[in-house]
Amino acid sequence: MIDRIVVVMENRYVRLFMVALLMLGLQTTLFNDLRPFGVCLQVMLLLAASAGLARGSETGAIAGFMVGLMYDLVLTTPLGVGAIVFAVVGYLAGYAHSFVHESTWWSRMLLAAIASVGGMILMPLALTIVGTSGVMTFSVFKIAIVVAIFNAAFCLPVERLCRWALAEQVVSR
Amino acid sequence: MFTRRRAIILLTLTSVLLITMDLRGSSVTSAARSAFGALFRPVESVARVATRPIENAWHGITDYNSVVNENKRLKDQVAYDQGAGISAVASVREAQELLSLNGLPTLAGINSCTAQVVGESPSNYTQTVEINRGTECGIKVGMPVLNAAGLIGKVTDVFVKRAVVMLITDPEYSLAVKVVNVPATTTTTTLPLAPGETSFVTAPTTTTTTTTTTIPKTTTTQGIKGFTPGSTIATIAPAITQAPAVTVNTAATNSTGSSTTITQSATTTTTIAPSITVPSGADVPLRETGALEGRGLSQKPVVRFIEADSRFGTINIGSPVISAGGATSLAPPDIVLGTVSRVINRQGTLGPILEVKVAANLDSLNFVRVLLYQPSTEKATTP
Repeated sequence: MIDRIVVVMENRYVRLFMVALLMLGLQTTLFNDLRPFGVCLQVMLLLAASAGLARGSETGAIAGFMVGLMYDLVLTTPLGVGAIVFAVVGYLAGYAHSFVHESTWWSRMLLAAIASVGGMILMPLALTIVGTSGVMTFSVFKIAIVVAIFNAAFCLPVERLCRWALAEQVVSR
Repeated sequence: MFTRRRAIILLTLTSVLLITMDLRGSSVTSAARSAFGALFRPVESVARVATRPIENAWHGITDYNSVVNENKRLKDQVAYDQGAGISAVASVREAQELLSLNGLPTLAGINSCTAQVVGESPSNYTQTVEINRGTECGIKVGMPVLNAAGLIGKVTDVFVKRAVVMLITDPEYSLAVKVVNVPATTTTTTLPLAPGETSFVTAPTTTTTTTTTTIPKTTTTQGIKGFTPGSTIATIAPAITQAPAVTVNTAATNSTGSSTTITQSATTTTTIAPSITVPSGADVPLRETGALEGRGLSQKPVVRFIEADSRFGTINIGSPVISAGGATSLAPPDIVLGTVSRVINRQGTLGPILEVKVAANLDSLNFVRVLLYQPSTEKATTP
């Protein structure tokens, strides 16, 4: 029984699911309450972008989709909107990172910030496309900037977490 | 083995499929949300307990001064509101009695379920809160939710022991409302009169007048602007008649020979002409209906579709906005939503757009009441 659990836990997306569940807990409690400048910080978006930075565009897209879908399940927005937006963010973060010749801590922070700005603009855009009105306002830019600064500040530890969670399965016989 | 392009296409198609299913109200997505909610609630509870010290420290740092100032302000407000509250309660009770006498629906006849707000939306684009009561209490989707100050929103998702409430500031929220155009208020103080002068006004009185006029008019301000039923003309004509006391002694002898003295005593009578409350046409608060729509984060809701009616006149800042009710409305009539804070006039026959200052403080909701109200069109009919 325990062996079976260990085998399941060795799957990197299962590990990511567990990490994302904890992050979602923080998102709906701590980061929902601490609102600097009136903006709800988006730690789930940070997780998607960090996954892309840690493991490349394809893994970032799948991880972003998964994280976004989990976020959608606790929101009242249409299911799938967050998933596609976070998948794009994860993909773009990984894709942009592939162009960086020698990755440094500040280049990763910068990419996390840019990906976050993209995500926070894409989200209201996607909501508008699916019929939600009144979300595409000028406050989107303020939200994007605050979220980008926060995500840049915390991207290094979260990226390390994603690097561990999304590590390839080591088969030992 | 998936190529990168296939993976991206698959994710996109899956998202589109999920969005389509959710927007069409598929039960699969609802079941998925419920199942994930059941899995996630324990994690969230643990996270809430674990992060509470951090939240408290944060609020201690950032909100200390504002809390102290608010405390002082609220003490003044409580002292001010105590007097107004008593008269308001009496007025509301009288109004409910009057409505029930006339067979009209009142809020007193609607069952309700009290709940506590346990969380708000972690998103920047939706204004929702979560309450700790659900279908076990009889709550259904669409039911109006209010707190002590007024309407705060409607139920959009219901689970067994929790429900999601969309606030009236959410862009998706819309409700038929009435705007009660009250006259502009001026406050005048009547000083005590000199000895020897007679008047019915003996104490400083707050009066409500529409225009500057020389006709003395005394009205009672009940504390809630716009809810004083008209302007009561409290004119008392002191037609006092004093008849002289007359005593008639009649000595009557009956058949038995005994005599009986009948004394008729006429006492002093004071006849006061009946005080007739006749609201003058100009003083009756006029009502106009419109649609209240939320506008999202940090923006006040607006009322649209107000007719540019000359009879309705210029809408004053501070006019109350209340629910209109109706057979298809999800909220019963006469629930307070707020007051007009800004009037945006438009050219031509287009009516104005009114910005509404919501009566309830949506940033600090705690206990709320869900009215177990369903419009007649929503009620299931028995076969």
